[in-house]
Amino acid sequence: MSTRAHPVWPKLRLLALLASGLGVILVLIGAVAWIALAQSFGLHNPMGEDRLTLDHWEKMLDRRLYLRAVGYSLWLGFAAALISVALAYPLAIWLRRPFRGSALVSAVLQAPLLVHGLVAAFLFVNIIAYHGLVNQLMVALGVWAEPRQLQNDRNAWGVLILQVWKNLPFALLVLSGSVRAIGDDILDAARDLGAGAFARFRRVILPLSLSALQAALTIVFIGALADYSFQVIAGPTNAQSLAQLMVFSRARSWHEAAVVGVTLMVLSLLGAALIAVLSRALRLRGVL
Amino acid sequence: MKKLMISATALALLGLPALANDLAGKSWDEIVAQARTEGEVTWYVWHLQDALREAVKPFEAEYGIKVTIAEGTIGGHFDKVLADRMRKTGDVDVHALGFDRYEGMDLAGLYIPLHILPPDSGRAYEVTGVSGQGHAVAYWGNQSGIAYDPAKVDETDLPQNAAEFAEFWAANPGKFGFNYENGGAGPSFYTNVIVNLGGWDRADGTEDVNRLMALEPAMAFFRDNGPNYVITASNADSITRLSDGELVMVSAWEDHLAGLQQRGEVRKDLKFYVPEMGMNGGGNGVGIPLNAPHPAAAAVFVNWLASAETQSMFNATFGTVPMNAAADSSKALVSPEDRANQVAAPARPFRDSVEAYFIENVILER
Repeated sequence: MSTRAHPVWPKLRLLALLASGLGVILVLIGAVAWIALAQSFGLHNPMGEDRLTLDHWEKMLDRRLYLRAVGYSLWLGFAAALISVALAYPLAIWLRRPFRGSALVSAVLQAPLLVHGLVAAFLFVNIIAYHGLVNQLMVALGVWAEPRQLQNDRNAWGVLILQVWKNLPFALLVLSGSVRAIGDDILDAARDLGAGAFARFRRVILPLSLSALQAALTIVFIGALADYSFQVIAGPTNAQSLAQLMVFSRARSWHEAAVVGVTLMVLSLLGAALIAVLSRALRLRGVL
Repeated sequence: MKKLMISATALALLGLPALANDLAGKSWDEIVAQARTEGEVTWYVWHLQDALREAVKPFEAEYGIKVTIAEGTIGGHFDKVLADRMRKTGDVDVHALGFDRYEGMDLAGLYIPLHILPPDSGRAYEVTGVSGQGHAVAYWGNQSGIAYDPAKVDETDLPQNAAEFAEFWAANPGKFGFNYENGGAGPSFYTNVIVNLGGWDRADGTEDVNRLMALEPAMAFFRDNGPNYVITASNADSITRLSDGELVMVSAWEDHLAGLQQRGEVRKDLKFYVPEMGMNGGGNGVGIPLNAPHPAAAAVFVNWLASAETQSMFNATFGTVPMNAAADSSKALVSPEDRANQVAAPARPFRDSVEAYFIENVILER
């Protein structure tokens, strides 16, 4: 008589082990995603009867406000991700080996994680306000003859600064672990073979920390893409982020807000997939 | 909204929320006695919750009924009332809503009739042409207009119509601000400028593309003058930047400015006026959901809210326009002459189309 377990049991055991994680994703997040998707097509109507229709998508796709929100949020997401990672990399390399004061430097760099985005946005607006610190300093130094209106700048530099300030610590946390895992002997070998600082970064550090880079880019991209609090306080008034547009649309139509919500989810997935594909392509083609 | 009306009416006819009937046929004294027994009332109101918790203390002391004011937004509270419709007993005793939202709604499907309240001819069951249908009564009056810095703008130079605003913008570039989102003061300003420029019958809410296209000259007016005015982030942002000295004139709500001044959050010397071209006035109303858990306490509370005494107190404390004819309005920021410039908000749904058109053709062009 065979003592081997039935072949289905290992699979069931695996599913049972995954259930706690998958359950949260499939039941909770999946249900919300499904309702948003259904509402974008006229179903799950809280104000009346359901009607399956493409009207809400057509209406939103016909609005410049929606299209600009898509473009603006994508730009903000990618710009924030690239700048945050670009600034975090040298810091992660600098902090790779402990030195006197490195713990303090790390703590200071990660301080933004403790400050809520809304609080940061209000503080930032106070600093750049008409009679804020920046204007007072520039006028006192004689650089500007009078204060300038810096708040809600139309190029969204203020939001980008806030995004990088907030997300750099995330990127640093993710990259630090990967960079610290690279052994000194590997870098010493590269140096012995004549590799300069940039060549060591490009040929050794970057390839060995590519997975962390991908994770950092993805996390920052999705966070910045879905920004609401920075945008409503410090963002430009001639463009809305997708999250802002979702709340704005919600006042008039659940279905139109759902279209924006679904767009946000799809763009998050596509952006993350694009980053993954690019990372894989770079690795396979040996560009790095 | 029609579907909501039908559904709500059907629910009412089916009698699912039967609590409303508890009060039918009872005298006011009996309702007050029942209210004291119920002992509590939950008010879903979206604005100034902390200040209102203080303001309702006289009611709690007088009746021994505890008032709980829920946190949340106007949309969130309305969603809650809608979501509760299928329950026999809901969570909301008194629901506050902007009075203009009642337009086109069948309030009988949502709220109990207010004829159970004791007679008071001063109460406002209609605000700027919108009826509470006997199921909602006004408790908060407000007026949009222009807040200004009297140290920088002389009272005799205040712009009164679209052409004068354009002159002011040209003479004072970057000193006038209004919002298009996060508050209704800015939309009240720009929609009334559009009306003032001509081609929009504010009483006609019919959606029509040709009517919208006819407003293109007004959009061009805003585009051409765009470099001279500032779009702010919200009602609050407008007033903050006025108080800070960056701007000298902004769109605002009378009660919002008065409340901030009384709490010392903005300069007390800022003034407020309603231009002759007219700006929207309105108010907020309260209704008692059909399935309110404490209907008698809710009725007593609504009666207190809409009374002349409470409306006088709100006027003195918050700078609101009293919503009871017998109340004292002497603490208002707006003079009776300016108050005569109050107009009703343009009729929906065409107003919504104009606002969307304005965003597409003015805001996105900046």
